Amino acid sequence: MFRQILSIVSVIFGVLLLTFLLIHLVPGDPIEVMLGESASMADREALRVDLGLNQSLPSQFSSYLNKLVHLDLGHSIHTKQPIIELIKTRYPATLKLAFLSLLIGLSIGIPLGVYAALKAGHWQDIVVTIISVRLSAMPAFWLGPILMLVFAVWLGWLPVSGMESRNSIILPAVTLGFGLSAILTRMTRTSLLEVLNDDYIRTARAKGLSERTVIIRHALRAALLPIITIVGLQMGSLLAGTVITETIFSWDGIGRLLVESIEKRDYPVTQACVLIIALSYVVVNLLTDVLYRFADPRVKLN
Amino acid sequence: MTPMLKNFPAFLFAFLLALPLLIACQKSATPKQEIRFGIAQAPLNLDPRYATDAASERVNRLIYQPLVDFDATSKPAWILAHGEAINALDYKFTLQKKVNFHNGDALTAHDVKATYDSLLSLKDSPHAAEFANIDTTEVIDDKTIIFKLKQADTNFISKLIIGIMPKSLVEKSHTFSHNPVGSGPLKFQSWQHDLKLIRTSDNQLITLQEVKDPTVRVLKLKKGEIDLIQGDLPPELVKHLQTMPGILVDTGLGANYSYLGLNMQDGLLKNLKVRQAIAHAIDRQAIIDKVMVSNSRIASAILPPEHYANSDNVLIPYSYNPTLAKKLLIEAGVKLPLKLEYKTSTDAFRVRLATIMQAQMAQAGIELEIKSLDWGTFFADVKAGNFQLYGLTWVGIKTPEIYAKAFGSDYFPPNGFNRGRYSDAQLDKLLAEENWPAVTQRIHTQLPYIPLWYEGQFVAMQENIKNYTPKPDGNWDGLAIIETSATIARQPQKAQLQ
Repeated sequence: MFRQILSIVSVIFGVLLLTFLLIHLVPGDPIEVMLGESASMADREALRVDLGLNQSLPSQFSSYLNKLVHLDLGHSIHTKQPIIELIKTRYPATLKLAFLSLLIGLSIGIPLGVYAALKAGHWQDIVVTIISVRLSAMPAFWLGPILMLVFAVWLGWLPVSGMESRNSIILPAVTLGFGLSAILTRMTRTSLLEVLNDDYIRTARAKGLSERTVIIRHALRAALLPIITIVGLQMGSLLAGTVITETIFSWDGIGRLLVESIEKRDYPVTQACVLIIALSYVVVNLLTDVLYRFADPRVKLN
Repeated sequence: MTPMLKNFPAFLFAFLLALPLLIACQKSATPKQEIRFGIAQAPLNLDPRYATDAASERVNRLIYQPLVDFDATSKPAWILAHGEAINALDYKFTLQKKVNFHNGDALTAHDVKATYDSLLSLKDSPHAAEFANIDTTEVIDDKTIIFKLKQADTNFISKLIIGIMPKSLVEKSHTFSHNPVGSGPLKFQSWQHDLKLIRTSDNQLITLQEVKDPTVRVLKLKKGEIDLIQGDLPPELVKHLQTMPGILVDTGLGANYSYLGLNMQDGLLKNLKVRQAIAHAIDRQAIIDKVMVSNSRIASAILPPEHYANSDNVLIPYSYNPTLAKKLLIEAGVKLPLKLEYKTSTDAFRVRLATIMQAQMAQAGIELEIKSLDWGTFFADVKAGNFQLYGLTWVGIKTPEIYAKAFGSDYFPPNGFNRGRYSDAQLDKLLAEENWPAVTQRIHTQLPYIPLWYEGQFVAMQENIKNYTPKPDGNWDGLAIIETSATIARQPQKAQLQ
């Protein structure tokens, strides 16, 4: 466990250091972003000193870490809002969207994958394969507007975009969930096919167990490890924010905040978003490890 | 196979079909009075001392009132106060009428002083430099204030366009950025995902909804989820909206100047004949006719023809003449094809315009390489002079001082906007004399910018929306008087594809 904690801390430190260095390498000066092009050199230098940007990079980095320890993420250059407030409003929106998308992806992808594996080589398998390939080939910037056109504009069932109604989450979640389900379908099918011909499955069948028990308790459980890996990776990227989907559906999530902050050179916001995303990945990885343990008791957490 | 697995496709189909149906039963109602305005970019900061983005400035015009604004010819117009120059350094302003802030405080000269004093004391305000020439402000009485300048500035009055804030809140370091209090026609109500404003005259609720994607803005307008949108749409979507029943599209002249910026320190572009060749290699009228909204017009100068500084000036636009352009390049001793790099943002419409110009310039022997960069990198390159050609638009420019800041020898970045590093002693002399017609003429002949067009303004709205017309600089002042027609019920319509 100690090694795991050490590894987490070093990952977070590495991300912070890398982000800090990259931001200082990107063209653009935060002082210019704040003061515009008309400010005098004297005013620029005064503000630079005021914000500690005249200090050496190691000194700026240590001061940044010191503030982080005290949970001070700073203020946005443009909106002047405390960044912690921005994160508090944006991250829950991303969490909600990510979990609903995952739910949709899992509830379509795994059953469809199992079905395809059981019908391997038959026309049903071919149909499922075609559907999953098609779904995974549909980018969010295409699928999103199509869903909007059908379910919001033509049928009038759902809002086109925004966050004002409870139903607003459905279309972005379905857009993301469909893509995820396609990947899960393919992975579940492949993984299940690998175990279906194993001796212990034959033994289970020979013992007279029902097909349902054989599939769910024996085959699917053994096939879960690669599926958990994929789910973990996908969940990580969902929690990192899905910029295109969030933009199309006017969903105020962390991904949009990150991209907007990069475009506007709002460096403190960019750093905070990257930190949150890195933390999300770390937590998801940790959960994935725990799930491995449940799926296969031979896997040790360390 | 288990029954569940056997029936899985049927279950899946039913699930997908039923999901939206179930949810459709819980549609949320929108208050009838609300007017919803779909915007491409939400304001960033509603504190007039900090706001620099177009959306914030447009909203701040509605929440706050300044001492001075501009009339249709861009001459200063008195809003809260009437001003006069006592001498070259002192300006007296007298408040004209009794005005209250939205928090109930009466607006007095003390509030004017507090606003400008706080602006000067802020180290991180992008507007502070504009007012660095103010030495002191002195309140004579509740209605009168005197601004004392460090140096004479004949354009001083036209700079006092910052919205006035209540002294009581300024002193408490109130967060105007997200909880603004002004004295304008619209009062701030709330700002969660959408910005909600209330019109003080009749309690009309106006909601500003950020919808970044242009297609989604159009879909929301079609469905009736928003009532109007203004600008920021590709022309094909505007044309589509013009054919839609129930949607009104109104267009008007624009005053925002699009241009090609040239690096005057580049060996090739230093040559006037090369610049003239580029000007003659672009068919502006064809571009306007084919890919721009109606009421777009060819530009010759940053300030439009109706501007007071331009009124006596006749500038003949550079005609499209690829043969002449090629001849000019040969005369300049350039080996054809002339290879130039053009930088622009990643905005799809800007990239499309770049590709059209690329095709047109090819006829004149100019091989244009397009580099499309993210906004931050693109703008940083422009400010650093790291370009040969770039495309940008000046938005909301009102005072002829822009000519000095954009072309004066003393205004190379970081001191001004002379990003092409243009240096011309004759122009500097004319700028010092403030001889604007001669300045405009000189810039027109020397071509430090290649003028393109003033893009037309448009608004698309539900047919029950009244009293809203697009303004030349794209401001949203119409929200102060916009109305909905009571006779036409607002029903979400099921639009058809055209």
